[in-house]
Amino acid sequence: MDSSPLLEVKDLTVTFDGRSVVNDVSFTLKPQEVLAVIGPNGSGKSTLLKTLVGINKKYSGSIAFAPGAKIGYLPQRFHVDFYLPMTVREFLDLKPEHKYSLEEVLRLVEIPGNWLDENLATFSSGQLQKILLAFAIIDQPQVLLFDEPTENVDVVSQESIYDLLHELQDKTGVAMVIISHDLNVVYRYAQTVLCLNEKMLCYGPPIEALTNETLSHLYGDHAFFHHHHFGDHHREEGHEHHHE
Amino acid sequence: MNDIFTLTLISGVLVAAASGLVGSFLILRRMALMSDALSHVALPGIALGVVLHFAPIWGGLVFLFFGVTLIWLVENKTKLATESVTGVMFVTALAIGALMIPEQDLLEAFFGSITKLTVLQIGVQALVAAAIIAFILIYKKRLTLFAIAPDLSASLKTSSFKMQFILLALIALTITIGISFVGVLLMSAIVIIPAAAARNMAKSFNGFLAVAVALAILSLISGLLIGEAYGANPGIMTVLVSAGLFVLSLFWRI
Repeated sequence: MDSSPLLEVKDLTVTFDGRSVVNDVSFTLKPQEVLAVIGPNGSGKSTLLKTLVGINKKYSGSIAFAPGAKIGYLPQRFHVDFYLPMTVREFLDLKPEHKYSLEEVLRLVEIPGNWLDENLATFSSGQLQKILLAFAIIDQPQVLLFDEPTENVDVVSQESIYDLLHELQDKTGVAMVIISHDLNVVYRYAQTVLCLNEKMLCYGPPIEALTNETLSHLYGDHAFFHHHHFGDHHREEGHEHHHE
Repeated sequence: MNDIFTLTLISGVLVAAASGLVGSFLILRRMALMSDALSHVALPGIALGVVLHFAPIWGGLVFLFFGVTLIWLVENKTKLATESVTGVMFVTALAIGALMIPEQDLLEAFFGSITKLTVLQIGVQALVAAAIIAFILIYKKRLTLFAIAPDLSASLKTSSFKMQFILLALIALTITIGISFVGVLLMSAIVIIPAAAARNMAKSFNGFLAVAVALAILSLISGLLIGEAYGANPGIMTVLVSAGLFVLSLFWRI
């Protein structure tokens, strides 16, 4: 198998209003690799992802995808107006290229086929995320970029989307960049981890990269050593995550 | 019914269809009031036409494009809030336009008048409307994705910057061809009200577009016919019909 990188990022710096939000980030993503980017809120994770996707165009450094590589993107937020008149079928049809049939893609993301003609507004945020995943993979991208939602998705849905991504990765070998604040995600799903708090604090296989020292640096001493604080901090943002 | 009125009705169907379509995307993009505010910007241009004796529609078009370009640049290049700039721009344009237009022509500019339309103007309106409809149907998927999920749209290498300008340009053109029917104050009657009513009624996106177009046509044609039959202002009649349809839409989900 060709192991030349699918994505090569060098010295990426993103600046907003004179303040650098992402500083000197470099990494590579190989085919079938799962890279988790972790860091506290406001650490520049989402900005990094939006820059990779091409939504944010103001950056310095280089972002090089392998020639012809397609990317699928799962945004952090997708606010469907309750009155948006659109069925799942119509939404999926908005993707310019289809390589899976609608039935195939629904099976992959474990959505019942009878959802196709239901209105988007009738689904929960967890269900919408599966629909978004179907949208992201329907043209069989080589790289999937996933921005973890920070609101309105319950623990069960969140767990199941990760299991789904994991299965999808097994079945299709799609490479992934996953943005998360949750360390469990890293240990369970990723081969490589990148710690980000405006600048890169670690990069490598989780067991080697995630030392106690790095983690306290990343989340701050009090947050790491007192898990209650960690939990409280997240609940403030509308989370229900449990950290063991 | 004379020939020119028949032509006006035919052109009206196309203009209403274009307005219903454009309005649908504005509703999705939450830019509903933009068309209303922007239509006022046409007034100084219309005034120039009246005063200098050329077809007011051209003056209106130039001012509208000036207006949308300004809004677009403000949105993208500065940190000013688009809403406040639009607000400042439209009342200023309204005041300047109202000052320039002779009083007897002012009501026509505000509420529309089809009595002074020439065959050439009616033809141009119909052609531009047909072009707007064709453009929207061809680029329907891209416009839709941009309107409902700009981030997903950008992830597919569609420039948001370009799409926003296209949407603003479509508004400007639609207002230009609609103004003679309903006037600068009542443009939302055929742009926003039918699309808002359609959103209340429809479950699917294609249904939404179809109903918006149907309601816009129904409103404008009823307005023109009632106006013709009872000597009433067709623009005002159009608004009343479309507002009535909106109220009905609250109870009638299809």
